[in-house]
Amino acid sequence: MSITLNEFLFVSGLLFTIGFLGVLLRRNTLIIYMGLELMLNAVNLALVGFSRFNQTMDGNIFVFFIITVAAAEVAVGLAIIVALYRKRQTVMVDELNALSH
Amino acid sequence: MLDFLFYLFSALTLLSALLVVVNRNAVNAAMFMIITFVGMAGLFLLLNAYFLAVLQVLVYAGAVMVLFLFIIMLLDVEHASKVRPDTLTVVASGIGFLLLASGVCTLFLYGGVEPSYFPESVPELPLTAHSNANPLEYTTAARSFGYGLFTKYMLPFQMTGFLLLIAMIGVIVLSKQYTQPNIAGSKDATIKR
Amino acid sequence: MELETLLTAILLVPLGSAAMIALFLRRGGYAAAAVSVVAAAVILGLSLTFLLTWNGVTQEVSTVWLTLGSYEVTMGFLVNYQTATMLFIVAFVGFWIHVFSVGYMNEDESKGRFFGGLSIFMFSMLGIVLANNLIMIFVFWELVGFSSYMLIAHYWDKDYAAAASKKAFIVNRVGDFGFILGIVWTYWQYGTTNLVLLDAQLNNDASTVLGLLLACGFIGKSAQFPLHVWLTDAMAGPTPVSALIHAATMVAAGVYFMARIFFMLSPETQEVILWLCAAMTLFAGLCALGQTDIKKTLAYSTLSHLGFMGAAIGLGFPSLALLHMAMHAFFKATLFLCSGSVIHACHHEQDMFKMGGLWRKMPITTLTCILAALSIMAVPYFAGFYSKDTILSGAWLLAHTDGRYYVIYAILLLAALSTALYTGRMVWVVFFGQSNSDNAAHAKESNLFMTVPLLVLAAFSVGAAWFLEFDVSLLPETVTVALKHGYATITQADVVHHSHYLLLGLSVGVMIVGVLATFFFYGPGASEDKLQRRYGLVYKILHKHGWFDDVYDAYVVKVQQRVADFFGFLDLILISGFMVRGTAGLAGLLSLVTRSFHVGSIHGYVYWFLAGVVIFGAFAFHLI
Repeated sequence: MSITLNEFLFVSGLLFTIGFLGVLLRRNTLIIYMGLELMLNAVNLALVGFSRFNQTMDGNIFVFFIITVAAAEVAVGLAIIVALYRKRQTVMVDELNALSH
Repeated sequence: MLDFLFYLFSALTLLSALLVVVNRNAVNAAMFMIITFVGMAGLFLLLNAYFLAVLQVLVYAGAVMVLFLFIIMLLDVEHASKVRPDTLTVVASGIGFLLLASGVCTLFLYGGVEPSYFPESVPELPLTAHSNANPLEYTTAARSFGYGLFTKYMLPFQMTGFLLLIAMIGVIVLSKQYTQPNIAGSKDATIKR
Repeated sequence: MELETLLTAILLVPLGSAAMIALFLRRGGYAAAAVSVVAAAVILGLSLTFLLTWNGVTQEVSTVWLTLGSYEVTMGFLVNYQTATMLFIVAFVGFWIHVFSVGYMNEDESKGRFFGGLSIFMFSMLGIVLANNLIMIFVFWELVGFSSYMLIAHYWDKDYAAAASKKAFIVNRVGDFGFILGIVWTYWQYGTTNLVLLDAQLNNDASTVLGLLLACGFIGKSAQFPLHVWLTDAMAGPTPVSALIHAATMVAAGVYFMARIFFMLSPETQEVILWLCAAMTLFAGLCALGQTDIKKTLAYSTLSHLGFMGAAIGLGFPSLALLHMAMHAFFKATLFLCSGSVIHACHHEQDMFKMGGLWRKMPITTLTCILAALSIMAVPYFAGFYSKDTILSGAWLLAHTDGRYYVIYAILLLAALSTALYTGRMVWVVFFGQSNSDNAAHAKESNLFMTVPLLVLAAFSVGAAWFLEFDVSLLPETVTVALKHGYATITQADVVHHSHYLLLGLSVGVMIVGVLATFFFYGPGASEDKLQRRYGLVYKILHKHGWFDDVYDAYVVKVQQRVADFFGFLDLILISGFMVRGTAGLAGLLSLVTRSFHVGSIHGYVYWFLAGVVIFGAFAFHLI
């Protein structure tokens, strides 16, 4: 195919940017977390692309690990959000600023 | 053909990613996230990473997003869908987005990685199990994953195991409630655990 | 006593008196008056001691006051015949006016402030008299201006008094601007501002512009054209202040200064001063006819006679100017104190045409006033005659070599006529005829504190100049030496000698014409100003003294105020806006930005991430 590595990297970059936009823009913690996941996925795509380009499995194995760790992280993160919700009754980040008055 | 598929899947991914981010309803956002992951899986397929594609759908779309949906249902996010971000936030994040996006576009338009063509053929199975010349050659078989995981990346593999254990314990601890609900007539109303 | 100590004591005694009053006797009343009068008496005593024991040799003492790199500011005394003359005038007239003030201000509630001001004035004036360099003169010049400002505004609750004091100070400052430029130029060109050193270097050959700049101080302080507008308004102060400061001493300081630096005035400078002052003499004399207030009439009279003194300087006879200054001090002080006595007796009524018939009720005041009037009109053998007529003769003398000076002579003669006119008017209207108001009808002679100074000063205004013709002298020897010189030069010149009777006849004739004219025109004890009634336009021009005040007013309001407003606006925008509040704002802005680190906002932190990425990217793209 005539799609080169550059196109895959471009898609990866854009995806990363969209995820970052989500973190910047939204005030709902859950959506921010989804943005973080998007960013991780973008990195995954870039890694697989490079791995395919270099004809080695290292990149793929790295992605394997990233998926694992991301899943664990999502679990813990959501548990924290739930605990926070129990305390503050809100998930909006601009209301979760009790450390500073 | 493959080019067309690439364009299709990347458009799907990017579009639904965008819709995740701008959606006011959290459930809708989660749905679009799933579509994004499906698109990603498609892209992985185009890169001959079949195992990863399946893994992506199983773990991300199957487990992670289900967990997200559970939590969204658990928390009261109704009022959150009614508020809009203020203009300053929109403008500032738009500027930030444009900054990064322009950086990415610049990288792409000004050449990028050279050379960038993928090698033509990808073998189905490893040629030799213990060949010294490139034991981790890119193949489409899951066996290569196993081979890499258990030889070169043994330590990270074990660490990940531990990490999962710790994550599990952490989740249990975090979701514990520390005060008993007040049972009428009971003498020890609050038991600290 | 050693010379230096004596002079230092003379200078510092009034300062001590002022300090004591300011610190302890602000509400002292008669105690403050006593301190001030005693100080004035001490000054008089010390001055007489000095004058009687001085051997006539010019002396100079000085100490370094301030060192700025290679430039030194010194304070010192220069004692020559001019100093002696002026010292006597200031001390003598000053003392008697202090005594008079005790009587005049007996109903005033702020005697402490008044007498403190008088003491500060004496200190400043003596500083000018004794100074040996231009910088020191300037310092005391400003101090005199300050005391004048303070004393004019004695009745500070009256708006016109406060405004008048500001006007006096500001107009003086305009003159002082030229003065200070002159001092700077002098130092720059001759390397020194010391009078003795400058005298050695110059002989009437300094640059004309330099002389004119220094003359700016004279024009401001002695109220010559165009800075004459403050003197009439300064009459808002109490009468002793008008007598001391604005008649006898402060305004004479300008003339004294000109005489002191006469060696710096080139012939062109002298000519400019001559024409300026001659014009002023006539103009002021005529304007005096347009005033009904007795003090304002005398103020214009002072302007006119200051013009005479300036003309003497312009003709080239500084000692003559000093002579007239001395005589003027005596008779003008007498006239002012008489008017003060009259005003006090008529319960602060100042309009001439509401007085009248006072000769029956206040004989001593009438007598002293008439004697001083005869002196100012230059009746032969009175003090004013010797000085004023000699100036006229001086103009006549110079006219024989240069025909233009006939014009000067004519102007001065007309000015003498106007002197006779306004003085005659004043005497006839105030003292003779019938009383024109209740206040005048109930007047009675003033107390001893006021009459004794009147008698003493009147006596001097009659006989102070007798040393010139006879062997009897009311003034100390050392004082008269400087004054004899100019007089002798002129009266013994051939030209003057030949025309002696012509000149005498002319001036006496002018005087008689003036006196009789006013008698018949106004009538003794007139109750209204006939000039105002019959020749309204003429009166108006004279009353407004040529609309000078209005012109200056328009200039200040339309031009100067706008320029000042513009600069004020620039200051507001640029200096306090950009520079002061701008830097503060910048600091505030920075702090607002870095504050986002410590607020719990997640978005804030994310933006900092973005900023870091952008900087990194710029680095990577070789932008920074």
